[in-house]
Amino acid sequence: MEVLLEVKDLKKTFKLTKRQQKLNCSKEKYKVAVNGLSFNAYKGEIYGLLGPNGAGKTTTLRIISTLIKSDEGDAYINGISVKNNPGEVRKMIGFLTSELKLEDFFTPNYLFDYFATLHKMTKEEIEKRKTELFERFGIEKFKEVKICDLSTGMKQKVSIVISIIHNPDIIIFDEPTNGLDVITAKTVTDFLFELKKEGKTVILSTHIFSLVEKLCDRVGIIIEGRMIKDDLLSNLTKDKSLEDVFFEIYKQEVGE
Amino acid sequence: MKEMKTIIKKELKRFFTDYRILFSLFLPGVLIFIMYSIMGSFMSKAMDPKITEFNVAIVNEPEEFKSFLKVEGWEVKINEKDYEKQEAIELIKNKELDLYIAYDENFYMNMESYEVGSGEPPKVEIYYNSSAESSAIIYSYYTECLDEFESTISNKFDINPNINENYNQVEDKDMTVQILSYVMPLLLTTFLFTGSLGICSESIAGEKERGTIATLLITPTKRSHIVLGKIISLGITSMASSIVSFIGLILSLPKLTGTSFDFSSYGVGTIFSMLGIIVVTVLLFTTLLTIISTISKSVKEATSYSTPLMILIILIGFSNFMSSGAVANHFLYLIPFYNIIQSLIGIFSLSLSTLDLLLCIFSNIFYIAIGVFTLTKMFNNEKIIFNK
Repeated sequence: MEVLLEVKDLKKTFKLTKRQQKLNCSKEKYKVAVNGLSFNAYKGEIYGLLGPNGAGKTTTLRIISTLIKSDEGDAYINGISVKNNPGEVRKMIGFLTSELKLEDFFTPNYLFDYFATLHKMTKEEIEKRKTELFERFGIEKFKEVKICDLSTGMKQKVSIVISIIHNPDIIIFDEPTNGLDVITAKTVTDFLFELKKEGKTVILSTHIFSLVEKLCDRVGIIIEGRMIKDDLLSNLTKDKSLEDVFFEIYKQEVGE
Repeated sequence: MKEMKTIIKKELKRFFTDYRILFSLFLPGVLIFIMYSIMGSFMSKAMDPKITEFNVAIVNEPEEFKSFLKVEGWEVKINEKDYEKQEAIELIKNKELDLYIAYDENFYMNMESYEVGSGEPPKVEIYYNSSAESSAIIYSYYTECLDEFESTISNKFDINPNINENYNQVEDKDMTVQILSYVMPLLLTTFLFTGSLGICSESIAGEKERGTIATLLITPTKRSHIVLGKIISLGITSMASSIVSFIGLILSLPKLTGTSFDFSSYGVGTIFSMLGIIVVTVLLFTTLLTIISTISKSVKEATSYSTPLMILIILIGFSNFMSSGAVANHFLYLIPFYNIIQSLIGIFSLSLSTLDLLLCIFSNIFYIAIGVFTLTKMFNNEKIIFNK
């Protein structure tokens, strides 16, 4: 199998502000968010990153998507270093997180053209891709409605469309169904399947076990910044549920 | 470059089609025009009253003073009836009579024969009602006439005695130059700064608050192109806002100062010099305010951090009032902010040398370049960009 994403010994430490130290009830000035994390994701598979809040999932995804830099280690997409060549990497990845928002004032149609141009697409490519994605997500009818006037579900659909505008090889989703109603969440999961069928690689961060069980081929369990398990879903679960497996591992690691 | 143009176009679309932003950008200019015009017309009304009819009662009026109340354009009705003092006071209180003037008997003769220090001088009592505009006007006029007359009694020499003669030989265009070089440097820099303040504070800090900055940063567009796109679009918008304020001020100035403005002294060269200074000033302010906005976690924080900068600019602007013109030392045209004020003084007073103008423009371009470089570095710094 062809390795599309290779994550090697990532380490990221954050300096805590006094306020954060107070909130953590700790005098530690630094927090190790990601500690020597490594894993591979292969072409055409959905890789699920599973872990409790604060485990380092979002930090890992942010490093892979070039938004922040690792202190040590690196990630490679199609063999290109995220650290050394972020501009090239950005052409190959799509990134969607609940933190990424669209400007309320504009319409989906305008934002599509805007981001497509920033991704250096030609006019013909933009029109073709727009028709395809707007039809697939049912945005056509709402394409001239301002973002602020769209429903939460429709906003999320537009965000997804914007994140994959340039038809990237690897798509990173950080908690993609967070805060969505069941119907929109279903649209998102169906879309993830479609991406897989198209041979795209999806990296999915979530703490919803059912979603991982339903979608993922391979799972990485992160606890306190470390990769505790990284295996095929079938190898991990065998005759148990993913939830049971996760809590067994969690108990062993954290002891609670 | 195409990506930079796209960013500029998108930002300008937001600024110029969102009615809330448009309102906040251009309202100050319109308000300046309306308020200054109203203030000016109130002031001119106060100085040039429209009331021309007056009702006056005089007792023992000397023949020599009769000409006082013969004023061209005024209709002063002098009551023939001999009022009792108390009766006249009641009429004035009721605003039925504007003035009651009571001279002593043989006032003029007694005045001529009076020696200073030789006893009681002859007197005149004038009753009026300051709450009645007509009464206040005629009282002020009449006492002025008497004052003037009194000063001529012991007259040894006169200075500019003819009130109808224009002794000041200033031309309208010179007056325009003087007034503009005095008030404009401070006002213009303040307008340029406040024009930039609102939108620049909102620019990056607002995107951080809304979470839209990351969406932009994961595109393959170079950070320097993002920064330049933002600064140019903010600069264009700030300049449009400042120009509206400036036009509002220029249009209202004649009404405010009561002077007819003659701009013929300012040629095309002056206008281009001014434009050059305005462009670099707006870009400098935009760059600095965008840096502040980038450091800040929220729009509120960005506005607070910008306040000291505004105070600094106003204080430097006040240096205009402490000097009699633009400075001659070329090195001073390299000092940021100060060089802008001095160049504007020089432009408005038509005394700026080409060398000083170029020094000011190029030094500011250099500061803007440093600012853009700093901003690009800041956009690459996750601690700054994601410091929510």
